[in-house]
This record gives sequence, structure tokens and C-alpha cells, in this order.
Amino acid sequence: MDEDIRRVAGTVLRAPFTRRTVRELLYCGIGGITGVIGFSITVVMLALGLTISVSILGTVVGLLLLILALRVSRRLGGLHRRVAWWLLRYQVEAPPKFQPGTGILNRIDKRLRDRAAWRAVSYSLVKLPVAAVQLYATTITCIGLADITYPVDWVLFRHQASGPMVVVFPFPLGGTFDVYGFAGTYLAAIAGAFSVLAGTWLARGINAGDRRLVRSLLGPSSMSERVSELERTRTLAVEDSAAALRRVERDLHDGAQMRLAALAMNLGMAREKLSDDDAARPDHATVRELLDAAHRNAVDALADLRDLARGIHPPALDNGLPSALATLAASSAIPASVTAEIGDRPAPAIETIAYFCAAELIANATKHSYANQIKINIFTERTGVLRLQVTDDGIGGADATHGSGLAGLAQRVSTVDGRIDVSSPPGGPTTVSVELPLKA
Amino acid sequence: MMRVVIAEDAALLREGLTRLLEDRGHSVCAAVTDGDALLAAVAEHQPDVAVVDIRMPPSHTDEGLRAALAMRKAFPGTGVLMFSQYIETSYSAQLLEGGAAGVGYLLKDRVANVAEFAAALERVAGGGTALDPEVVSQLFRASRQRGGLATLTPRERQVLALMAEGRSNSAIAADLVVSGGAVEKHVASIFTKLGLPPDESDNRRVLAVLHYLGG
Repeated sequence: MDEDIRRVAGTVLRAPFTRRTVRELLYCGIGGITGVIGFSITVVMLALGLTISVSILGTVVGLLLLILALRVSRRLGGLHRRVAWWLLRYQVEAPPKFQPGTGILNRIDKRLRDRAAWRAVSYSLVKLPVAAVQLYATTITCIGLADITYPVDWVLFRHQASGPMVVVFPFPLGGTFDVYGFAGTYLAAIAGAFSVLAGTWLARGINAGDRRLVRSLLGPSSMSERVSELERTRTLAVEDSAAALRRVERDLHDGAQMRLAALAMNLGMAREKLSDDDAARPDHATVRELLDAAHRNAVDALADLRDLARGIHPPALDNGLPSALATLAASSAIPASVTAEIGDRPAPAIETIAYFCAAELIANATKHSYANQIKINIFTERTGVLRLQVTDDGIGGADATHGSGLAGLAQRVSTVDGRIDVSSPPGGPTTVSVELPLKA
Repeated sequence: MMRVVIAEDAALLREGLTRLLEDRGHSVCAAVTDGDALLAAVAEHQPDVAVVDIRMPPSHTDEGLRAALAMRKAFPGTGVLMFSQYIETSYSAQLLEGGAAGVGYLLKDRVANVAEFAAALERVAGGGTALDPEVVSQLFRASRQRGGLATLTPRERQVLALMAEGRSNSAIAADLVVSGGAVEKHVASIFTKLGLPPDESDNRRVLAVLHYLGG
């Protein structure tokens, strides 16, 4: 029993001297300030947007302001998340990227229904009282630190001065008392120590609450959002596989099947020629020509089938992504190099997606970028993420929202909760980064 | 000699067919690549028969079939041989709705046997019928007349299938390597067992058989 009490007391008293406390206090200070700023911006924009949109004339402007407020809130949410990671090492993933609709009305509608943005708004609003407590905790800690130095101050500066020394004691809400002698400064130091201790623990407490808010309001999503996200990506996955099968059927129909039909026709005609009534002197030239055509069709049909089979499952993938990507790079029209650093081998489905992403990105670069060099980089991160980066030194200007290529990739990747980031300023270079989980 | 229009979007097959038919002394008036061009070519050349691919541009689904049905309405005297990589029961049903005269539906594979393919095309051009064995076996499988079919001997079922394909007695005889008289006996026996009115014309006979199978 005594042991326990001693241990708890030790923890409580040692807390101010830990590195964690420094971080927590810094977070209180900085996070408090960003919280207040975020609150002000959000409130002003929301209030303006709502009031203006109430009047008939201002509806459009008001709506636009509202949308702007939502977008800014998403950004502010990102800022808050980053501060939490930077100072508290508290990691919360970003909510899924906004999926813009097509058409202006649909776009506006989707923006206004952007739940992640509304949750970010609510965080900004709830953050104000939290920020107040955080700033209070920081302040009393700072004052406490100052109070602790009083005995030293007295010795160094005040022993000759006349009059009392004023000590700020921040409890309950602020106040002062006077100190008239060196002995009194010890009282100030004790009060300071108490303030520091209180500020420290207050900071820890309020930050714990803030973490919860960050997770629930700035995190990926609530359960219902997750469900609708899963529904959306499941639809995509089903459509994607149906489209893939249709593509295979079309390729077979227009490729190998057609060539084999032509081959059968050539052979049939050649056989006719040979079994003509005057078979004693068959028309060698024509038969040879027909057999040549048949041979050509057989070879082409084989090539078609090989391409098709490779398109369904690249055999090189059996030896793992690095060797499959090396094979891919070797056949690229633009010189391509591969660096790979893969720890645990990803699930086969993930490997396949990564492979086809790489193939598509290389094809894109070849078609549009005028690049001289492509770099393919694939590695696993400690957080259980497989990252594929394809960089080219081309002209840039690739856009993930337009052009079905990148958008299609983004869809395919989202079916396994992956994501794509495109950095492609005009003038290049273009880097497309694909993030996939290791398990599908 | 037949005058033929070909509608087929794959150049390889279009040219192959043209050559095959011309080699056998027929005349290919036009070789087109979609349904609209087919109707225009038929209107212009008034051919004996058209060979039509089912899947053609722009939608690559069944425009060949739709063009063929339109053609049957507009030019009832012109035979249509559908030519496809698949047999679809619903397609053959639509095609036979307006009667079996001058209608054919063959897998593209059948072109490997040049003589048989040419014979089928000639049959269709002459107002006869040419159904792929696949079509017929699908009809057999889907037929509700299992009881009637069960009374036939295996040989009689073979003869019935060949009749359904649209073949004449002599062709059936050649195919089964039996005499013409033997075929006639089988045919008479089949018609008695199934309760069909005997009919001399190949055309009406196909229709009766198909009607029986479909019923």
C-alpha cells in the first residue's frame, strides 16, 4: 500500500521533468493558439456564409463562402493533425480525399455533404474551450516556473531594493501576494512548484481529451462513413472485375478467336485446292500462299493469347514484385530503373494491383510526358504500407481528376483502401505515389 | 453462281470469305463492315444472299442481327446467313420467327470445311435453311417434346437433327453414308412417330421440325 502511494507520488512529482511534459506543454501552447485561430476563421466564414445565403440575392455567394469554409476546415483539420503528430507523436490518418462529382451542381452538392469537412468544422468549434484550458495550463506552468526562481532573483537583484516583491499565484484564477523577505521567497517557490505541477497535469489531462477529439473528428471516418466508403469501393471492385472480364472476352473475340477462324478458313481452302479433281497437278503457288497465311494467323493467334494471358496474370509476378517490375522496366520504351526494398511480401492481390499500376504509370509516362528517364521505386514502410513511386523527368501537368487513366487507377487502388497522390507541376517532374496496404 | 454481299468487320475474315467465294466462282458484290452499309449494299446490288457477322461496330453487340432482321423485312427474297463466333439461342429464335426460308445461322468455325460452308450458303441463297449443329443441339436440349423424342431410335434422332439443320434427303444420305431410300424410310418413320404431316418440300419440312422442337 505504502509502495503504491510512493510510486504514484513519484510519478506525479517527476512528471514535470520528463521530455513528454515539454511536448505536452508545447502542444498546449501551439495547439491552443492554432485552435483559437481556427475557431475564429471557421466561425467568421460560417456566419458570413450562412447569413448571406439566407438572403435570396446572396444565396450563390453564401453557398460559395460556405463551401470555402468547409474546404478551409478540412485544411485546418490537416494542420491540427500535423501539430498533434509533430508535438505529441499522435498519429491520426487523414480522412479519405474529397471525391468531386461531375457537373457544377453535383460538385456543390457533394461539397456541402462532405462529412469529413463538417466534422472538421465541429472540431474547430469544440476546440475553443479546449484551447482555453490548454492556454491556461501553459500560462500557469510558465508563471510557476517564474515563481520558482524567486529565491535566486532575491539574492541576485532584490536584496538591496526596498518594498515587497509581488508574486503571482494563479490559483484559483489568478491573484498576487507580496513577499517581504528572503524567507518569503521560499513560499513563492513552493507556490511556483505547485503551479508547475498543476499546469503539467492539467496539460496532460486536456491533451488526452484533445486527442480523442482529433481522432473522432479529424480521423478517417465514423463507422457509417466507413460503411458507405466500403459500399462505394465494393461497387467499384465489382464493376472493375466485370469490365476486366468484358475486356478479356472482347480481346479473345477480336484477336485469337478471329485469327483461328481465319486460320481454319485458310487450311480449309488449301485442302480444297489439294483435293481438286486435277489433284495430279495441284496449284502449288496458291496452296503455298494459303498455308503461309494460315501459318501467319497461327503465329499471330499465339501472340494474342500470350499477351492476353500476361494481361490477366503476369507470370513474372510469381517471383515477387521486384523481379516483375524489373521485367516491366526492361520493356519500357523510355529507359526505366527500379529500386525495390520490400520486407514482408505483400498479398498476391496487392502485388497484382501494384504491378498494373506500375505498368499503367509507365505507359502514361511514355505516352504523355516526353521524359528521358523513369524511376520506379517500391518499398514497404514500417507502418504496413507498400509504396510505389513512379517518377519521370518529363513535362509534368498530369492531372488525377481528368483523364481516365489516373482516375481509373485511383478507383482500382481505392478498392483495397489504397490511395494515389500525384505531383506534377507544369514543367515536371511528375511523381505518382501509390500507397497500398500489405494485405488486401 | 451466287451474288453475295458480305458484312464483317474483321478485315482478315472479310477478305478470306471474299476469296473463298470467288474461288468457287461466286461473285462478291460488296464487302462492308457495319449494319447500315449492309442494308445499303443489299438495296444497291440485290444479291442472292448476304453473309452477316452478328457483332459489328459501332456497339459490337448484335447490330448484325438487327440489320439482318431489317433486311428480311425489306428484301424477303434475299437469303441471310448469320455468321458468328457464338451461338445464342435467343438470336436463332428471333431469326426463325419470320420463317426458316432463306435463313442460316452458322458458327464461324464451319468455314474450315469449305465445301460444306459453300453448300450451306447455296442452300440459304436458294431459299433453304442452314442451321449450325450447335443451334440444333440447343433446340434439342431445350425442347419440351422429350417424350416424343424418346420414341426415336438413335439413327432417327441423327436424321431429325440433320433435317433441322436444313439438309435435303440426299445430303443426309451422303452425310450418314446410307442410301437415299434408307433416309426416306427414316424420315417417314420419324414423321409418324412424332405425328407430323409428311411434306415433300425441304423447306416446309424444316419448319415443321423446328416448330415441333420449339413447341
